[in-house]
Amino acid sequence: MRFRWLIAALVLGLSAAFAQNVTLRALMEDVPETHIIEALLPQFEQSTGINVEFEIVQYSAMHDKLVTQMLSPTNTYDFLQVDFLWAGEFPSAGWLEPLQPYVDRTNFDLSPYLPSMLDLVGYYQGKLYMIPMYNYAMGLIYRTDVLQDPALQQKYQEQFGRALGLPQTVQDYVDTSVFIARNAGMSGVAMQGQRGDPNFLEFANYLFGLGGGFADENWNVTLDSPEGRQAMALYARNIQNAAPTGALNFNLDDTYRIMCQGQAWSFVSYWWMLPQLDNAQECPNVAGKVALAPMPGGHGVAGGWGWGIPHNSAHKDAAWQLIQWVESPAIVKARALQGHAPTREDAFTDPDVLAKYPYYADVARIVESSMSVPLFQFTAQMEEDLGREISEASAGTKSSDQATQDAARALQQLFQRAGLE
Amino acid sequence: MRRRRAGWQFALPGILILLGTIAFPLGYALVVSFTGYSFLAPRFEPWVGLQHYVRGFQDPYFVNAIWRTGVYTAFTVGLSLVLGLAFAVLLHQPVPGREIYYSVLSIPMLISPVGVSLIWKMILHPELGIVNYAMTSIGLPRVDWLGNPRYALFVVGTIDVWQQVSLVTLVLLAGLRSMPVEPLEAATVDGATRFQRFFLVTLPILRPVIGIVLILQSIIELRTYDLIYVLTKGGPGSSTDLLAYFIYRTAFRGLDLAQASALAYVLLFMTMFLVVFYFRSVYRST
Repeated sequence: MRFRWLIAALVLGLSAAFAQNVTLRALMEDVPETHIIEALLPQFEQSTGINVEFEIVQYSAMHDKLVTQMLSPTNTYDFLQVDFLWAGEFPSAGWLEPLQPYVDRTNFDLSPYLPSMLDLVGYYQGKLYMIPMYNYAMGLIYRTDVLQDPALQQKYQEQFGRALGLPQTVQDYVDTSVFIARNAGMSGVAMQGQRGDPNFLEFANYLFGLGGGFADENWNVTLDSPEGRQAMALYARNIQNAAPTGALNFNLDDTYRIMCQGQAWSFVSYWWMLPQLDNAQECPNVAGKVALAPMPGGHGVAGGWGWGIPHNSAHKDAAWQLIQWVESPAIVKARALQGHAPTREDAFTDPDVLAKYPYYADVARIVESSMSVPLFQFTAQMEEDLGREISEASAGTKSSDQATQDAARALQQLFQRAGLE
Repeated sequence: MRRRRAGWQFALPGILILLGTIAFPLGYALVVSFTGYSFLAPRFEPWVGLQHYVRGFQDPYFVNAIWRTGVYTAFTVGLSLVLGLAFAVLLHQPVPGREIYYSVLSIPMLISPVGVSLIWKMILHPELGIVNYAMTSIGLPRVDWLGNPRYALFVVGTIDVWQQVSLVTLVLLAGLRSMPVEPLEAATVDGATRFQRFFLVTLPILRPVIGIVLILQSIIELRTYDLIYVLTKGGPGSSTDLLAYFIYRTAFRGLDLAQASALAYVLLFMTMFLVVFYFRSVYRST
């Protein structure tokens, strides 16, 4: 009996000693979410003895850093923040550890997660590779005071024969933003027209809002359709007539600065931009005058991050321990109370969270109605190829019809390369 | 015989290091370019021969990248040579406080290209940048410096020249300093004007140094990547899509290492062709 206790004490002592030596590293995007989690980490470190280090970088630097690490025999990062745009590439390359065995072993409860989030950043081809971390669905953020301006309302009524209000269709939205750019002494829309990820995701909102899509369920390309051509034409019209000078080269940070300084009426962006703009210390010109709505037409782009464990992580069990902790109901609520973008239904319906952030009800609607861009091995290349064509149409170096046709052809070639057609 | 063997023994460590650091990566990339190697399937199969090279030249966007890179290189090398020569000639004069000019001129060269890009990105920001602020405050219209496909390439090129001109100036100044004074004195005695002395005596003597500057600058400019990555991402449209950035995208966004290796070899051959051309013209003339 005494001998058994001795072994147990030895095992506990050794595991504690080993745990103390474990330092988990992760590459994280420089967004508020990361800093919210970072502030909570001491709780995890104290309770487990496992240290956690975040390497925080801009989004654009993340993909390439991760790809090179995945190809190495050992990975600098022990757990990952995986963007939904890589949610096809990483599992299909065999770079992520399947998580179902971990879920089963620890009875981790997946039921509170929104099904749309599990589809987006959870399962890939029926296998669980990620645990949804946070969502960044896109919607319309706009200035309410501009729509309430009596002089603008009167002028709009005279021009369009209807009341100035929140646009319900993409066509209305572009008409309204062009009208505001011509009559309100500000830009109608702050657009992230830079080639690649920024303009591709922004354009996808126009496409989904018009009822179009990139491909059907059998991976047949459907982009070159009347809706696709109209989306390209409206996107180009908005950037050429209602966006600030230089929008063709703007990224997310530029659009935020423009909105924060009160130089534009609206932007199609990630919903978590709303609390940033509504912060009187950060954006005194617009705080209290901004609101969030679903993308005109009813559907915006779904976005999100998931937690994953790389296949070559040196500390897989410790990484899973961290994921369990950060996704536990108490920590999810603590994160949500600081402005976290939840992926679990319980966080969206929590009374304390809703009391602090009443617009979370709108966010839930936006998340539920959002649609995903095609996720497959070459999603990153798809952003580049289609972003190039969207940029050509926006710059006027190609007609919108030609750009749509070329974008559809490029997409088809990528599907063929991926063996999906 | 013994001396010859000893020579080889002394040279061997250097040769091995060169083989390991230069020949191996080059050979590896060459082999990869003939296979189907990708990040998703990191295997040297199937063997596809020249397929990636052919596919590259069939891609209109790759051909566009070659053309843009040629224009960009000609513009940046030409402008930095003209400006560098002008600065070098001015600094060669006995002006007071020359050391201060040297120091100020060297500053851009000491900053990393990414730092240079970020600085200029803010200066040229169409809405928040100081250049457009100054222009609008005197009644001029805002200019979309990096968002206009007609001149974005030349704006990026000018930023590049801002950084590169320091190096060109220093090299040419060193050439001017080491130039023999006798030909110039003889030309003066013969009654040549300053203009004639510069174009008929100084420039021909400087020709080998100018050749070296052309070689160095062309190599640097053909490989331009960081400025494009930070400033434009190849846009608007394809107006700033340079070869090195195109190759990077093929490798790290398209995950196609074999195709990227083939395209990198095309860039290597372009660079080697230019270097050989410069060498031949410089040495033939001297």
